[in-house]
Amino acid sequence: MKLRMLAGVSALVIAGGLSACSGGSGSSGDSADGTTTIDVWLMRDSISAQFQKEFVKGFEAAHPHIKVKVQIQEWDGIGNKVTAALASNDAPDVIETGNTQVAQFAQSGGLLDLSDKVDELGGSNWLKGLAEPGAYDGKQYGIPYYAANRVVIYRTDLFKKAGVDPAAIKTRDQWIAATKKLNSSGSQGIYLPGQMWYALAGFIWDEGGDLATRTGGTWKGTLDTPQALRGMDFYKKLQALGKGPKDSDEAEPPQAEVMAKGQVAQIISTPGGANVVTQNNPDLKGKLGFFPIPGKTAARPGSVFIGGSDLVIPAASGKQDAAFTFVKDLTGDAWQRKLAAAMSYVPNKTTLADAVASDPGASAMAVGAAVGRATPNTPGWAAVEAKNPIKDYMTAVLTGGNAKEEAAKSSDAITAAMKGGS
Amino acid sequence: MSTARLRLRRAPLHAAAVVTIVLCLFPVYWMITTAFKPNRDIQSASPQFLPHTWTLEHFRTAVDADGFALFWRNSILVTLSAVLLALIVALGASFAVARMRWRGRRQFMLLVFVAQMAPWEALIIPVYIISRDTGMLDRLPTLTLVYFMMTLPFTIVVLRGFIAAIPQELEEAAQVDGCTRMRAFRHITFPLLAPGLMATSLFGYVTAWNEFAYANFLIIKHQDSRTLPVWLSSFQNVFGTDWGATMAASTLFALPALVVFLLLQRHVTSGFAAGAVKG
Amino acid sequence: MSVTREHSAAPARVRLRRPTTRPVRQEPGGVRRRRGAGAWPYLLAAPTVLGMLYLLVYPLARAVLISLQDFQLRQLIRGNAEFVGLRNYETLLTDERFWQVVRRTFLFMAVNVVLIMLLATLVALLIERLGRRWRLALLSALVLAWAMPVIAATTVFQWLFHSEFGIVNWSLKHLGFSSFDRYPWFAHGPAAFTILVLLIVWQSVPFAAITLYSALTTVPSELYESARIDGASGGRIFRSVTFPMIRPIFMLVFSLEVIWTFKAFVQIWVMTNGGPGDATTILPVYAVQTALSSQRYDLGSAASMVSVLLMAAVLVLYFRQMFRQEGEAL
Repeated sequence: MKLRMLAGVSALVIAGGLSACSGGSGSSGDSADGTTTIDVWLMRDSISAQFQKEFVKGFEAAHPHIKVKVQIQEWDGIGNKVTAALASNDAPDVIETGNTQVAQFAQSGGLLDLSDKVDELGGSNWLKGLAEPGAYDGKQYGIPYYAANRVVIYRTDLFKKAGVDPAAIKTRDQWIAATKKLNSSGSQGIYLPGQMWYALAGFIWDEGGDLATRTGGTWKGTLDTPQALRGMDFYKKLQALGKGPKDSDEAEPPQAEVMAKGQVAQIISTPGGANVVTQNNPDLKGKLGFFPIPGKTAARPGSVFIGGSDLVIPAASGKQDAAFTFVKDLTGDAWQRKLAAAMSYVPNKTTLADAVASDPGASAMAVGAAVGRATPNTPGWAAVEAKNPIKDYMTAVLTGGNAKEEAAKSSDAITAAMKGGS
Repeated sequence: MSTARLRLRRAPLHAAAVVTIVLCLFPVYWMITTAFKPNRDIQSASPQFLPHTWTLEHFRTAVDADGFALFWRNSILVTLSAVLLALIVALGASFAVARMRWRGRRQFMLLVFVAQMAPWEALIIPVYIISRDTGMLDRLPTLTLVYFMMTLPFTIVVLRGFIAAIPQELEEAAQVDGCTRMRAFRHITFPLLAPGLMATSLFGYVTAWNEFAYANFLIIKHQDSRTLPVWLSSFQNVFGTDWGATMAASTLFALPALVVFLLLQRHVTSGFAAGAVKG
Repeated sequence: MSVTREHSAAPARVRLRRPTTRPVRQEPGGVRRRRGAGAWPYLLAAPTVLGMLYLLVYPLARAVLISLQDFQLRQLIRGNAEFVGLRNYETLLTDERFWQVVRRTFLFMAVNVVLIMLLATLVALLIERLGRRWRLALLSALVLAWAMPVIAATTVFQWLFHSEFGIVNWSLKHLGFSSFDRYPWFAHGPAAFTILVLLIVWQSVPFAAITLYSALTTVPSELYESARIDGASGGRIFRSVTFPMIRPIFMLVFSLEVIWTFKAFVQIWVMTNGGPGDATTILPVYAVQTALSSQRYDLGSAASMVSVLLMAAVLVLYFRQMFRQEGEAL
């Protein structure tokens, strides 16, 4: 008796599982009335929910035969996720990827070659920091979406209280002196988590060093050069002037939330971080300012990593025409202006720079962007970021490890990762 | 020996028992209480072992997160189907092994033992490729099948022990009375086997409920088919600093397993171990 | 379902393996089993065999094939992988890092298994000596710890060892170890390794202890009494009476723990991702890292195959045990 019941129940459950799924997977694809539904993957926090809604609404109104289904992806583990998607038969139709990730996916043959559309998209005016990493082997796969680089976000009230003039901070020495002053009993001079490796990269570039260099055909990690060690030394000095955790990065905990909750005088962030701060603590509205990361001398601002995203269309997408329409609209001038203004991003074309001219955060960003750099443009670099020995190195040094030894160890790890990953 | 002296002699034993109990329960306790504490108490310099004020706010955050109910349903569906499937298939196989004599029986059992060591992490890529080529990506039944196979060998091994422990004479007596073999199994063996089935299903239940790697890699585009472990891990990404919410999510995730285990405690401790004895 | 029946069920099976009861069982069994011949057993076993062939053997064969091919992201997406023979194995076996990982895996396994078996035996002996109510309390606690889902437990341990608000750092600080104030556990190799060992031991002891306890209940009390009359000490009784009786089950649990700790993956992946550096990278983690993060699916598969072989070598022990038991039962 019981056995029969058991069998019956399981048959039901299994059948239920099957039907629940086949019903679900039918949701994508062309429906009878001629509308196409495209799946779009955007990254968490790259655009606000409000802007997303506005854009999708506008897009669907302009193209009534296309419906858009946006899924927000987490940065953590995104490489594997995109890989699995590209290799599947039923890939999403548009994917946002970090500008440094495009080369790796392009090399694998999983992306649609968009070279013949470059002119149509106004490619001659694209930001180099986005367009170049989006190309591989002379072909354009990634379409520039937006760019951003890091600046210093500071609390105007805390600066005033400590008697520090942000406009006077032009060199690293002045920056350290000011931060020391700000790091009083009541507040943190700067909240700098121990593993913000993009910031370290900037300091290393300032000293004339690099993360990795190519000699002959092979890439080699170069954190152990004297220049790179000086960069780390400065990071350590700065990091000590606040309570940033030595063993995590800016995402954990999200530094903007930390700034919103506590008495933090400065963070290093893209200007968009200021929105998150005020969102979490409306009292700070109007109390946040921006200045470019100071360089070694007043003549040259600090080097920064140009971060940003490209849009790609998987070769396995079944609706490439509709997907291209989507990419064209989102990277087109009209929406780029709105996007840059809404999110304080650098728009994808140099000709659109005026869209953010009145934005103090974006103009601070523009100063840094002039001396912007990128991580090594090779498919192997993605393997380095996946495991990221640089973060381990930073934590080791900040918690009292021998910088020289740890740097050598980490450089070897970078070398090995770049060799294995290409 | 007087009771007082007995008690004194047992004091070290009881002390050891208390220490063990505390060590076992503390992480569970800490998870649950953290989930009920307001944020300012969680992030305070001196932790409170009992929450001063209780709040449901973290549970609200967790339940309100995208798709929580849906993923809960997916997990239940996948887990139950996998466990039931494994039980049914294992019941047949273990009956054949424990009660019948046939050529290849030994080899069959050896295969089952070897299958218990299967390197599932290494099979992700081939399983991904096979599912892709057969159009089974992004679908819960694929996960069900994988979990079914993960739990099947252990289930057979344990069930075989239970079946072997039931005196065959009972079945035979029934057959002498004119029952068919099937009927004898159904009316005599099966009811005796119920505790064993329950104990065995727990293992499968925990395995399937917990599985993360396959759920993460085989469900790609159709995110409505995600399961709770994947949700919990992405929840941690989104609410990483919010330890209260993370603990509330963990509690909600652990709750079914904790409740089921506590309810079936007797079977777990006696029955499960007894099965493993043979396995 | 009465309690008594279940308690009698467990010993019944254990007793089977004792030589004295064997002939009794085998003799009628031989007569009865002849009747089982025919298609039935094959029909009953068929779903299992088919399932294993399609869901286990076939993927495994594909994995072996991948390990013999040049199989990277490109091949995953476009197909057409090229056969390269044993080149991947060569690359792997000549890599110093791989051997470091192998050594670390064995260390990790040894530390875990020794701790688990030791603690589990102590806890099992403890349960046996307790009164009914205490025993129930302790068993419930063990069952609860055991039921805790791996991912939830891992998350909780991360919270316990949190550098700023973790209860462990707080307790250590208040016990006078001021160096643990805001100590970043997950930033130091040995510390992260220790936490993972603690987590795995915490999760594994309940199963082992409960199983060993149920084995202990099958030791006839007369044996203890006679030993005590002979004047044997507690330690001696354990060595010469208790342990020999539970040895088969002890070995079995031991082998299972070897398998399980050798294959420990989820805990490490979720908690440390193998870091900091390589400090917690053991073979399964290494294989997945190589395959998924570096997209060298070929090398990752080769690493998995090597670890399967290594594990099999360790478990020759387990199989010998299995064969001996099978021999008796047949």
